[in-house]
Amino acid sequence: MSPRLILFAALVLLMAVVLALAAIRAFRHSHKTSAADWDELIGRLAAVDRGSIAEVALDLVDESGAPRRDPTEVLESGQIWEKVGGMEGLEVLKRNCAVLIDLACYVQRWYPEALVVAEQLRLSAREIEWHVGRLHSAEETGKLETSFSMYAPRAVAIYYLMTRKVLALYEHGSLDLLSDLQKAI
Amino acid sequence: MHLTGLDRFYWLAGFGTHIVLFSVLVARRHFRQFPVFTAFVGFSILRTIALYLIQSHGTKLEYFESFWTLAAVDTLLELALILEMYFRTFRPLGRWPTDLGGSLLLIAFSSVAIAAGLTWLSIPRTRYWNQAIVIRGTFFSSALMSELFVAMIVLSVRVGLPWHSYVRKISAGLGVYSIIDFLIEAGHNVLGVGMDTHVYSALSRIRMSAYLVCVLYWIGTLSRSAPTPRRMPERIRGQLMELERLANAGLRSVRSGRQM
Repeated sequence: MSPRLILFAALVLLMAVVLALAAIRAFRHSHKTSAADWDELIGRLAAVDRGSIAEVALDLVDESGAPRRDPTEVLESGQIWEKVGGMEGLEVLKRNCAVLIDLACYVQRWYPEALVVAEQLRLSAREIEWHVGRLHSAEETGKLETSFSMYAPRAVAIYYLMTRKVLALYEHGSLDLLSDLQKAI
Repeated sequence: MHLTGLDRFYWLAGFGTHIVLFSVLVARRHFRQFPVFTAFVGFSILRTIALYLIQSHGTKLEYFESFWTLAAVDTLLELALILEMYFRTFRPLGRWPTDLGGSLLLIAFSSVAIAAGLTWLSIPRTRYWNQAIVIRGTFFSSALMSELFVAMIVLSVRVGLPWHSYVRKISAGLGVYSIIDFLIEAGHNVLGVGMDTHVYSALSRIRMSAYLVCVLYWIGTLSRSAPTPRRMPERIRGQLMELERLANAGLRSVRSGRQM
């Protein structure tokens, strides 16, 4: 067997293994999400300081989501870092965003009309991922301090809007799970 | 051409299972939602009939030409089927989401590049030059299919897009089969086709067996009804629409918010 053919066979095997593992992992995640009940989803949420999140978010937007043009008090970069919990805090928010989508899907299972809201939540979560990604890049290039105050509040504000949206969704759906959700997010 | 009992079994089994699957797609009204998939199954039935008749009454050359012409059409239908699954998965609201453009382009270009690179590396041992073209062509096609299907499955989970119940079933079957097909076609490249075609035939039978299992899986899963959704009251529908309007306005504000 020629070296070229050996390389071909090795690359094919490698690719088949990668494809199979990726597909299995994706199916497992999808099955886990679709088969999860309410308690399991709530259990996946990591605790966050809702007061601090609201404070950072409301420094950028008001309760309706409109930007604050004339804030009475602007948070300093260090204060934002402390309230958000640094990179770890942002990662927690990012993971919670994924769970929030699953929560929206929980409603979607019963009411397919909620697809629009679920899609909007998904887009918001992706936007937070983008902001966190920018922060990771800034950390690698040593520009975290300036980037953090630029991107972190936006990610937090979107998270804040998302949590409000999900809470409203459950409230309107008259589900008895609202109190559990309020405790978690 | 001489057909063994095993060959006849695969022909009959393939024909019979496709007839049943086609009946399921029509009876359960899946053809409205999956027209390309239905056409793909219908084409498989017609192809089996055509090849059987040509094999029985035509020459070896006629069979060879018909086989590969129909295989080319089958590959085009598979590509259209992938597009149908992408449409069903990534366009839940009837339009492409704004955050997926880059990822989908990356998937398309990298899949073609990887499949082309692997095909360039392969040097199948064959008796005739046209056999090499056929083997490399089918390998390229199988590599591309497996990459596109797995990429679709992974991307949908990665970005949090929910799967429609039947899209999941069809994609799962095609995803698993495409990886097996990719390995089988790679095997054809490595082992080649010499005077003795037993190895080539054995590999092809493994592929056909995998495909039969896949078709049986589709028959079983597509026969079942999808979970019945509840009817959303008008009051909640109105509230959701208002909520969505507010959410969009809020997000636009955040995106164009003041500099910190």
